[in-house]
Amino acid sequence: MRNYILQRLLATVVTLFIILSIGFVVLRLMPGNIFEGYDELTPEMLAALESKYNFDKPIIVQYFLYLKNIILNWDWGLSIKLYPNMPVWDIVAQKIPVTLYVNVYSLCISLPLGMLAGIVMALKKNSGVDYLVSFLVVIFISVPSFIFATGLQYFCAYKWGWFPIIYDPSAAGMAKFISLVLPILALAFSPIARVARYLRGELAETIGSDFMLLARTKGLTEGQATLRHGIRNSLVPLMNIIIPMFTTIMGGSLVVERIFAIPGMGNLMISGINTSDHQVTLATLMFYSVISILTILIVDLSYGIVDPRIRMGGKQAV
Amino acid sequence: MKIYNASEYSGLDKSKFTLVQMDTVLHDQKFETKPVGFFKDAMQRFKKNKSSVVAFIIIVIIALFAIFGPMVSGKGFNDQNLDHMNAPPKIPFLANLNIGLFDGGTVLTNRRVENLTDTTQYPEGSILAVTNRHFVNGVEMCDVEVDYYEFNDIDETYWFGTDYLGRDLWTRLWRGTRVSLLIALVSVAVNVVFGVVYGSISGYYGGKLDMVLMRITEIINAFPNIVVMTLFVMIFGTGLFSIILALVVRDWIGTARLVRAQFYRFKDNEYVLAARTLGVRDRTLIFRHILPNSLGPIITRTALAVPAAIFSESFLAYIGLGLRPPEPSIGILLSEGQKVLLYYPTQTLFPAIIISLLCISFNMFGNGLRDAFDPTQRGA
Repeated sequence: MRNYILQRLLATVVTLFIILSIGFVVLRLMPGNIFEGYDELTPEMLAALESKYNFDKPIIVQYFLYLKNIILNWDWGLSIKLYPNMPVWDIVAQKIPVTLYVNVYSLCISLPLGMLAGIVMALKKNSGVDYLVSFLVVIFISVPSFIFATGLQYFCAYKWGWFPIIYDPSAAGMAKFISLVLPILALAFSPIARVARYLRGELAETIGSDFMLLARTKGLTEGQATLRHGIRNSLVPLMNIIIPMFTTIMGGSLVVERIFAIPGMGNLMISGINTSDHQVTLATLMFYSVISILTILIVDLSYGIVDPRIRMGGKQAV
Repeated sequence: MKIYNASEYSGLDKSKFTLVQMDTVLHDQKFETKPVGFFKDAMQRFKKNKSSVVAFIIIVIIALFAIFGPMVSGKGFNDQNLDHMNAPPKIPFLANLNIGLFDGGTVLTNRRVENLTDTTQYPEGSILAVTNRHFVNGVEMCDVEVDYYEFNDIDETYWFGTDYLGRDLWTRLWRGTRVSLLIALVSVAVNVVFGVVYGSISGYYGGKLDMVLMRITEIINAFPNIVVMTLFVMIFGTGLFSIILALVVRDWIGTARLVRAQFYRFKDNEYVLAARTLGVRDRTLIFRHILPNSLGPIITRTALAVPAAIFSESFLAYIGLGLRPPEPSIGILLSEGQKVLLYYPTQTLFPAIIISLLCISFNMFGNGLRDAFDPTQRGA
């Protein structure tokens, strides 16, 4: 088991390294000079700026300097356009909490709500309620999160005034939560529906099984039997579909953050791309890579713990 | 019961016996119905699924609008008219019904009531509704809903209104739908073709080749989707072709794995061995004898991949890596509309409806196909 974990961790590091390298090369080779449009710069100033950011050196040297700075000093370079001369890591460190706040909350609320909907659907299988919720599930899964975000923003915030239209960065505590309710909701719809659909499928199968009949025979109500015996079996696989969902939520959050003007990683990445601030873009891309690779890693490792057959990865036992 | 031997009844006269059924018709039925093949069977099951059929019809209708819509309006998708900026939608037929939809209404707030009768300010027939009458410093004020077109003396009508450059949104919406559908369908087609060939080879030959090919997919799969798409579009620019390919880079892997699994299921069957014994070449074996078995899952996957591609396209448009202007796509219309959402909500509303309808329909259509091709999976 330890070998397996070590092997996976090594693979993760290698993948991240490759992404960083490709990203670096791609962004450096992008057409256009970063200092384009600043006509007041004299050639001497340009040369000074270029040597400051190491742009005057060959790209391979730039790359190794960049790597060296990250590994030795955890220095991700300086932002050039977005926040001139701010260390990229400082900017990123400011932005990560609010992004995680939104994403983790939407994941957390989607689990109980989705389970509730799934249980209701399974218990009322093939009834009107089941069909209605199933229909909603299809809608929630299909419609992109940014459409929900737009709708919620227009109706709940602008028309009816229940929530702030955009995020208020100065808010704290409960006010912060309230100003983030709409983005959290918009991101939660799809995971809620996915959990519900999954649980309905699993439970609908379990409910007909013998041990459920036994549970009913010994006097449990249908609800008790489902909660205490039925769901048990579906919970472990459920964790394994919920964790990768985090990556999906993150992807949606990129756009949703933009819509609600949340100063998070998504907004930073979009600004970085649009202003060609490559150091910032690269750091945000790395953030998303780390999140997505970590989720996959967690799932794979937890599979290994739960089911020893997978641990070997199809290899002979060592 | 006694059992007779042949020797015991050999003395009997044969002429004493007659056959019972010599003249009567045998009531053994011939098949009167035609045999039902795999696809016909699936088709029958698909037709029973009402919601999928409705979804399919919606897709066809949207596709027809996407093809013919831009021609009907008589306005180009890039015809700018700065005098007609941000016009609200107006469809004359619906406006005459007085139901408050598509009547070109815009609300002007805080206007003096005494001016309402002044036809130089409010041309005749331009006022649709007067609301919220109140007094400010002794002057009676109100909110007036006017017909934007009468009010500004515009002769054309824009069915879905115009955007911030005065471009006709009807034309742009359907052209955008066409572009988005094109991107989605082409990228899915490429991804299916590539995935099928890759998966077939990997699954059919197995062994070392399979291991190498699958390792490659694992490596590509390790890169997060957002990052791959972003970097890809940044390298190859925001052309139609590069966006299509950006959607393929990672998505073909799912198809390849699915096809490979199907090959592993079928390649050891006796009929494959029989065909091989008869000297059938590998290529024929792969494409004619084994691949058709996996057509059902492939078709289902294709239908379900379309909404994902539409989503990715809009996602790229939102983060500023969409098609180059002035070419519209649903994603670009959405992200442009988003900027003026609070003032001109209809600019977001129509593309939002179309993208939602497309995604829902394709998902339902795909679910219907899955149930039709593989009834055991129903409801999963």
